[in-house]
Amino acid sequence: MSDASTGQKFENPVTVTIDGRAIVAEKGDMLLQVALDNGIEIPHYCYHPKLSIDGSCRMCQVKTGAPKLAIACNTPVVDGMEVDTQSEDVAKARRGVMELLLINHPLDCPICDQAGECYLQDYSYGYGREEARTASPRRKGLKRHPIGPRVVFDQERCILCRRCVRFTNEISKTDELAVFGAGDHSHIGTAPGAPLDNAYSVNTADICPVGALLSSDFHHKRRVWFLEETQSVCPSCSKGCNVKLGMFKNEIQRLVPRRNDDVNETWMCDHGRLNYAFAQDETRARDAVVRGEAANGSSPVVSTDDALKEASAKIRATIDAHGANAVGILGSGALTNEEQYHLAALARDAVGTSNLDVIVPTGEADGFLIQAEKVANARGAREMGVSPGESGKDVAGMLAAAAAGEIKLLYVIGSNALAEAVEADALQAAMDNVDTLIVQDTNVGPWADKATIVLPGQVWAEKDGTFTNHQGRVQRVRRAMSPTEGSYCDGGLFTRLGALLGGKDPAGARFDARATLAEISEKVSGYEGMSFERLGSLGVVLGEAAPASAPAETEEGSAPAEPA
Amino acid sequence: MASRVVKVDREALAKAAGPFSVRAIMVGLRVTSRHFFRNLWGWIIGKPTIATVMYPEEDVVKPPAFRGMPVLVEMDNGKERCVACGLCEWACPVDCIHIVPDETEDAIERYPQLFDIDMGRCMYCGLCEEACPEEAIVMSDRVEIAAFSREGTLWHKDDLLVPVDRLARRLEYVRRSYER
Repeated sequence: MSDASTGQKFENPVTVTIDGRAIVAEKGDMLLQVALDNGIEIPHYCYHPKLSIDGSCRMCQVKTGAPKLAIACNTPVVDGMEVDTQSEDVAKARRGVMELLLINHPLDCPICDQAGECYLQDYSYGYGREEARTASPRRKGLKRHPIGPRVVFDQERCILCRRCVRFTNEISKTDELAVFGAGDHSHIGTAPGAPLDNAYSVNTADICPVGALLSSDFHHKRRVWFLEETQSVCPSCSKGCNVKLGMFKNEIQRLVPRRNDDVNETWMCDHGRLNYAFAQDETRARDAVVRGEAANGSSPVVSTDDALKEASAKIRATIDAHGANAVGILGSGALTNEEQYHLAALARDAVGTSNLDVIVPTGEADGFLIQAEKVANARGAREMGVSPGESGKDVAGMLAAAAAGEIKLLYVIGSNALAEAVEADALQAAMDNVDTLIVQDTNVGPWADKATIVLPGQVWAEKDGTFTNHQGRVQRVRRAMSPTEGSYCDGGLFTRLGALLGGKDPAGARFDARATLAEISEKVSGYEGMSFERLGSLGVVLGEAAPASAPAETEEGSAPAEPA
Repeated sequence: MASRVVKVDREALAKAAGPFSVRAIMVGLRVTSRHFFRNLWGWIIGKPTIATVMYPEEDVVKPPAFRGMPVLVEMDNGKERCVACGLCEWACPVDCIHIVPDETEDAIERYPQLFDIDMGRCMYCGLCEEACPEEAIVMSDRVEIAAFSREGTLWHKDDLLVPVDRLARRLEYVRRSYER
């Protein structure tokens, strides 16, 4: 949004007139950005708000009163400037630029993944000629060349805007891409033996205005106009990059970054972008399982309700025989804040154990987007109280106590994350010595296969809720996928298990993310005033959502807030 | 709009036909007999004048503008022309087309791994043909789509492929009518 609409004052305000509209802007801001901020469309290829200015495409030429047309992307606004973006000269210049760009562009749109979100296609409709005037054959170049392990390059489609070159130079700072050759022979390429292989390489496919650089993962997978996009947050580390999930027939087709200047600007890492298969592949845990004497005949598969009853019976028996602290609960950092809140309540009130901690697999951080904590909501778990109580044990302590026989029952939420987070020997020793292992996980794995009771969880794309990232920014996660029919989200499992342990009817213990967030906003410090509407699409930092602040941003596509 | 009105005097006609309409019956029998004996004679001398087509042994030659079921054009190398661009899928008003694209090592790098048309839904509008940038899907003269089950109305890629030679008339008509 423009600064003018948010009421922010400019240090050196100047007034420019664009197409007869007077606009107040900061002196020295570039004309193109000012126009875009104020909803005036000026076509452009090479300009990107997060990259340096190149001025190579010449598409954004406008009339500013100077003798020649000026490129809006590199023209600072000055007081009293009069700009015309619609004059005959400008239209002619755009037609000329389009004609030159299209001389060698292949007629590839039917097989090009960019079709549907292609600047060249859009501007060709808007500003291009219908027929070519050249008779010479189009230049041939590399087709579907693997320029890196995760990016496909099509040289014929490239318009040499140099966005990708500037990206590897300025953002990823790896300098793989460069323009080789000169004049008509210029082309984008990599040095021999140095492919486009960095942790952020697929961003070049996002910023490519044409179909020259494409994600290999999404290559020829689905036409973009069939995708239903849901605004969400990446679940792969605690950075919480804002993403859009491209869905087709209830399957995630791709993740693309969404602009949030306070978190990920417009970028995301390749690992996060490509880490979504677990949500829909055959390793998903879909069935509740009870093994041992309580098993249902030959098949261990039971209904989730029956498995919950069995789990509550086991927990109750352990508490009665050995006390509440013989139960250890290992929480997951992949759950939403609302679910973490119910997990903490379950451990504290229903079970009464102080052995509660969140499993946080760690890895390398790079100082830019990739964080060391490899789950999205470790911070949220701690804020909600998923941490050891007084004289309670942490993850390592619980495993040691289980190995020593002090903890008789382990309730593990996210067994695969646990296997990543701790030493294999310590885990093996603990698992060998516990009497009962209850695993609640989204995907099957070695420990889910050995568990006495398996409760199927849901992945982040199937949930509504919020994540708290490492900076304390609370961001909204939206349901994009319909979960398996009859399954409960992790929060629903906690509330039902809590009800069973308290001797109540689990059918009445429904999980409601919206109501839970309202409760959190009253009880957890920092979360005051938070609601789905208040968080909007970009999220709010802890402690900044005070109820008396500005009116809530209306959220697109969500149900209206419940009356107070 | 002006229309031609013919006044019919029913009473007069009934009177003229006689008490048991014998005359009308005789007129009708005369027409039927004339055709019967003419066709019989034509059959004997081996020059049939009959207009009836002995379907299904024979088929009617349909004009090129006829819109039968949509089919996929099969190139001379036995592969489909379709590149799975998805425009027909998008244009289809009844959502009867389902395509799963995939990549190949051929010169044309994209092909439909799956191309299904649900003929139980198709309404023969021809918008898929109009949308197609590759002249890969055309309305054929095929009309026999009856099936004994719902699965039977689902036509897969292999069933839909028709050699390009057999679609020449329609392809020419398409080029002419859409000024390609």
